[in-house]
Amino acid sequence: MIDPVIRVRDVGLTYRTRQSFFRHSYHNVLRGVTFDIYPGETLGIVGRNGSGKSTLLKLLAGIFRPDSGVIRSCSSSATLLGLSVGFDLELSGRENIVFSSMLQGCSLAEAETRVLPVLAFSGLGNYADDPMKTYSTGMRLRLGFSIAIHVRPDLLLIDELLGVGDIEFRGRAEEALENLMSNQTVVLVSHSGAQLKKLCDRAIWLDHGTIRMTDRPDVVLDAYESSATKEPKLYRS
Amino acid sequence: MTYRNFIQLVAVKVWLNTKAEVRKTYLNYLWWILEPALFVGVFYLVFGMLFDKGGVDFFAFLICGKIPFLWYSRSIMNSSGSIVANRGLIEQIAIPKIFFPIVVVFQDGLKQLVVFTLLILVLLSINVGLDSTLLYLPLVIVSQLAFILASGFIVATIVPIVPDFRYIVATGLHLLLFGSGIFFDYKQYIPHDYQTLFLANPLAYLIECYRDILLYHRAPDFAGLGLIFSISLLLVLLVSLLLDRFGTSYARLVGE
Repeated sequence: MIDPVIRVRDVGLTYRTRQSFFRHSYHNVLRGVTFDIYPGETLGIVGRNGSGKSTLLKLLAGIFRPDSGVIRSCSSSATLLGLSVGFDLELSGRENIVFSSMLQGCSLAEAETRVLPVLAFSGLGNYADDPMKTYSTGMRLRLGFSIAIHVRPDLLLIDELLGVGDIEFRGRAEEALENLMSNQTVVLVSHSGAQLKKLCDRAIWLDHGTIRMTDRPDVVLDAYESSATKEPKLYRS
Repeated sequence: MTYRNFIQLVAVKVWLNTKAEVRKTYLNYLWWILEPALFVGVFYLVFGMLFDKGGVDFFAFLICGKIPFLWYSRSIMNSSGSIVANRGLIEQIAIPKIFFPIVVVFQDGLKQLVVFTLLILVLLSINVGLDSTLLYLPLVIVSQLAFILASGFIVATIVPIVPDFRYIVATGLHLLLFGSGIFFDYKQYIPHDYQTLFLANPLAYLIECYRDILLYHRAPDFAGLGLIFSISLLLVLLVSLLLDRFGTSYARLVGE
């Protein structure tokens, strides 16, 4: 048996919102969530809007701390893949590549060696020294995606970012992602059943903050999709 | 994130922010000199020429107090909003929260070096005269930087928890403006018994040190400076440890 990269044990998280000076309202986002992530696997997470998927990723990334339960991590770095981490639109594409890579854990020297491959992948070489405010929305996303896939953390957390850019870029992007997933540990949140079935080794169905099912992706997705059509109403606990 | 990477990240961010800020204007880096020059010009017009009260001497006295004060108040205001302003980043990345006030303080500090150079040039041009005591100036600047870091860390830590604290910070800075002897010489206006209490305000004390060096060509009191420096450093360490321990709760405090 291989040791898991991360053990999640009975994790709960409650949002507290201030209503007035002393009154607070509480909202349980996650309750009693327990699972493991094994090295090299791609774990998919499905669930309705508001089921706690993004919160779970933030817990795994170390951005949030759980209110109850423990997350024991054996990996040195877990990064939530973002498409515009720390971009400053006044700065050039090149400068943003350096800073964004450093934010995600690189040293300055490492970040500088990333500039050329990232530019090459994004196909934005001719605009490298223009300020990013002159980029189109699509170009910004392309650059963000290109930086993101050049970050190589032990555990990669992806929240809905597939399908960026035009047809030409999308093809390369999907290929690069599949490549990435085949030799890295990945947790992937997606609403696309087809994508999850294709990319994941295992899937978790999150429902109102608790795990409803863990199994092979096709089994989980079939159950999830048939239930989603039966329970069309969204509600918060 | 290793300490080395963190320090590099701060340095790169300070440099990039400065570049980005400069690029937003037509006159670029010229504003680094123009802004304080205009400010000093206004003071010269009002206190050096219009009011004939003390004339040039009072003008010199005034800017030696006002310029360090402005450095302090600007850095503290910027620090107070620094964590909240970066909520987008905080929600995406597990980053030590101390990063945000540090960047703000050093970015302001970099600009302040230009301002101090300008201050010295202005003092020379109005024949205040400077001598070797000027070599003590870096000691006072470093002590003030430490004091700014300590105060900046504290306000940056409190504001996300109690957003109302920002108003108190603004009022506190106003109080300091009048309570730090910028417009008056405390030796003349504060009763002798209360002078020690007045100098217990680190900012009043630092401003007195600036004047000792720049106007009266005296060495500052090293014991006092050392005390300000070491207490500030202690506070900086303490708040850094606190933020390191409780930092992850900030992502949820500033979110939504």
